[in-house]
Amino acid sequence: MAVDRSDLLQGTLDMLILKIVALGPVHGYGISQRIQQVSREVLQVQQGSLYPALHRLEKRGWLQATWGESESGRQAKFYRLSAKGRKQLQLEESQWNRLAEAIALILRTAS
Amino acid sequence: MTWWWKSLFRKRSLDAQLTSEVRFHIDELTDANTAAGMSPEEARRRAVLEFGGSEQIKEELRDVHRVRVIESAIANLKSAFRFTRKSPSFSAAVILTLALGIGANSAVFSAIDAILLRPLPFPDGDQLMKLSQRNFKVKGTATVVAPVRLEDWNRMNSTFQALTGYYTENNSETSGILPEKLTQAFVAARFLQVWGVSPALGRDFIPEEGHFGGPGAILISDRFWRSRFGARPDVLGKKLVVNGHSSPIVGVMPSSFLFPERDVDLWSPVPSDAPYAQSRRSTWYTVIGRLKPGVTLTLAQANLAAIQAQLGRAYPETDNELAVEVQPLKETRVGRTRNSLWMLFGSVSLLLLIACTNIVTLLLARATQRQHEIAVRFSLGGSRFAIVMQLLTEVFLLALLGATLGLFVAACASNVFRSLAADLPRVEEIRLDWRIVLYALACSVVATLLCGLVPAIRGTRRTLSASLAQASRTQVTGRNRLQWLLVGTQVALAVTLLAGAGLLLRSFRALGHVSPGFDASHVLTFRISGSYGETSDWKRLTQRIEQSVDVLGKLPGVDSAATTGDLPGVPQHYPTELNFVEGEQDSEQKVVAESRFISPSYLATMQIPLLAGELCRDPLLQLMSTPEDPAGIHHIDISRVEVLVNRSFAETYSPVSTAMGRHLRVLGNAFLRPNQAGEIRGIVGDAREEGVNREPGPTVYWCMSASGPDPFYLVRTHAAQPLAVAGTLRKKIHEIEPGRSVFDITPLEERIDNAFAENRLRTVLLAFFAATAVTLACVGLYGTLSYSVNVRQREVGLRLALGALRGQIVKQFLLQGLGVSTIGCLVGWGLAAAGGRLLSGMLYGVSPSDLTTLSSVVLMVLFVAALASLIPAVRAARLDPMQVLREE
Repeated sequence: MAVDRSDLLQGTLDMLILKIVALGPVHGYGISQRIQQVSREVLQVQQGSLYPALHRLEKRGWLQATWGESESGRQAKFYRLSAKGRKQLQLEESQWNRLAEAIALILRTAS
Repeated sequence: MTWWWKSLFRKRSLDAQLTSEVRFHIDELTDANTAAGMSPEEARRRAVLEFGGSEQIKEELRDVHRVRVIESAIANLKSAFRFTRKSPSFSAAVILTLALGIGANSAVFSAIDAILLRPLPFPDGDQLMKLSQRNFKVKGTATVVAPVRLEDWNRMNSTFQALTGYYTENNSETSGILPEKLTQAFVAARFLQVWGVSPALGRDFIPEEGHFGGPGAILISDRFWRSRFGARPDVLGKKLVVNGHSSPIVGVMPSSFLFPERDVDLWSPVPSDAPYAQSRRSTWYTVIGRLKPGVTLTLAQANLAAIQAQLGRAYPETDNELAVEVQPLKETRVGRTRNSLWMLFGSVSLLLLIACTNIVTLLLARATQRQHEIAVRFSLGGSRFAIVMQLLTEVFLLALLGATLGLFVAACASNVFRSLAADLPRVEEIRLDWRIVLYALACSVVATLLCGLVPAIRGTRRTLSASLAQASRTQVTGRNRLQWLLVGTQVALAVTLLAGAGLLLRSFRALGHVSPGFDASHVLTFRISGSYGETSDWKRLTQRIEQSVDVLGKLPGVDSAATTGDLPGVPQHYPTELNFVEGEQDSEQKVVAESRFISPSYLATMQIPLLAGELCRDPLLQLMSTPEDPAGIHHIDISRVEVLVNRSFAETYSPVSTAMGRHLRVLGNAFLRPNQAGEIRGIVGDAREEGVNREPGPTVYWCMSASGPDPFYLVRTHAAQPLAVAGTLRKKIHEIEPGRSVFDITPLEERIDNAFAENRLRTVLLAFFAATAVTLACVGLYGTLSYSVNVRQREVGLRLALGALRGQIVKQFLLQGLGVSTIGCLVGWGLAAAGGRLLSGMLYGVSPSDLTTLSSVVLMVLFVAALASLIPAVRAARLDPMQVLREE
């Protein structure tokens, strides 16, 4: 199966991370797997941008992190969404939806 | 700051965490690869490869956590310097605007700090109080205090550390070849103790020097020490001959000790047990007290009131009707300047606000040009906070440079204040010190936030749609609306300031054109030294003064000469309560009038017309001295004194037909003996004696040349420059009075001018601030309109190409500029009308809501605004449509 892999649009990685973490506590490896799975391998996240983004979000107080044991029995850092993060996620989602609708509308009417 | 420390010290544990987080990821990847069927080595290799440079990622993660306050501040500062250098004209405009705003603000603040905020320059200066006595039964002013009463208060009170008193004389020192005028303060016991100051050289007075018949002693001022003795240390023990008394110098005061007056030369003790100091009626001393630590003003007032009530029972005749006034000494010295200074501070703060608003419009215009740069920084991963901080740092750097330049402006402030109003209290204490530097620094922080915050936040507003639709022009109009709002604000504030300046200027002019009822031109004023000791024989004193007046009047070039206790036209309010000896007393209506003590020739010299009756006769004929009464030393038997009243007095209290020949009696005035009366001889025209800014009120002229040992002398000269006769009269006085010095020689007009120096100060400064404000507002208007023309070039070019007339384009832009200015003017009008009340106490002959002033201010601003708008409007109309459209 030949899949075109797209780079993430600037600024959307944060939103995707928040969305995935919203589902439940998860570690960095899990997030990168989840993004690839859910987007059906279209979106590929470089670890070089994933981890800095995670730490940035943690520092802003949108994510909370705890150390715990993973399914494989190793010590892993789990991220959870904070109340502030939940609000931010809602905001970004609604912005994104508005934008996407607008673009879709243009594409539909312009053709 | 604790998290910041923690982040420094937790570096190790943070590193460990990062390492294990990264290792976990790689381990999981390895597991996944193994599960896909790879050999363990291959799985590991692929996992590491897929993860990417783990050290590099760890460094990036450390970056996220590192708090780099100092590093990032330095980086911001560096880039701010680059930015400043890159756009020199923009930076210069901002720096100069802020230098003016912050400089003027710091200058006025330095005056407020020195005059109003700082305690008096004595140890614990806020403990110092001024005390006076006042007769509460009759209307009048508080007076100085009798020496015995001072001693009573000092002994009986429980709230003051000590009380002391002083009075000053202008004396002649005659140990040299020519008599030299010296200002000598006579002080009660405990004088230096109350001030908390010791002599810089020598010693304080010792108790024996405070006893009658004890040794004499003199403390000299630093200034006198330098001018007379060349600051020689062997000055102690040298003798000075003052008023014929020879006393040794026992000490030199420090240069900062300038009390009670700036030009005081000597201090000498007054024996409190002298026989002539025992009367409870003769009042001499201005009383100063130092509160005990922690004692409040109210407590001290209650304490003194209780003591005075006790004294009232002990001495019912003299003390029963007296009350004590206690006021902070600082308040009595600087209180009257408070309103002017705060008004100036308010206007200068408005000016700073206008300057900041101006800079905001400049920055907003720049932000559009820098959009691209900011977008790049965002895409490089800069957080919004970091970018806002960088933008603010740029403004802060400019504000700091502006403040530094502004401090030079502030450094000149004391000179400006001194040259505009030399009589301003504590003006010598205005100087640039670390407090002013700190204040300027605070100003630049405030200015940075005022100027920088809105443009920085707007400039970094980032949404996905904005970054996708970068080329859109809709943004520009939105930002433009804010710019026009700012321009309107500037115009409104400038109109407010200009209206205030206009009102002050008009009242200044009105004051110059007032006809005061006397003629101050051609009149020279001066004084001749004299001592209060002479008042023990009023007859001799009067003879001496009358003789001088006589001689002066006959000098060549002199029309007439006179004396007066207070100068006409110089503000000085001295109300006295009186009653008529003859006829029915209207018990309801109190007779209160201004008292003036003059020689009979005063009316001719000042050209105040006689309306009815006759002038006073020779005062020597009126005089009867009372040497047998030791208690009456400072009192004059006025049973034969003659009195003139002005028209206003006659109209208020006694019709012209009945006034003549009636006797007026003084109630409870400390200077005139109570219950003795003077005969009304004539009625004279109204003159503005109490200050040229006050309508003349009822006034009584007591014909006594010797109101004190050194009254003001007035001579009316032929020459237009009254100072021309100064040499002649000095020589003449030296001939007849070789032991006395002539001093304070000044034309009367100059004295009156100086008395209104504060008025001049605030008028000149406010006019300057207002002119600056209008200039800034016009620059803002011009800049914004030019910018708007630039942005709309394409539209204008298109319209011109489609056949629009150039006149229409001019009109459109002109109307845009004028429209905003008009709205600004209307708001400014409202602000000025509301703020005018603040000025009401400072205006003369013009109401705070004066229509002429306000409307001419608005017209003037509109005219200048029209000029400022015309240039960009015409430039817009001159655009070459082809070129503009080709550029797009």
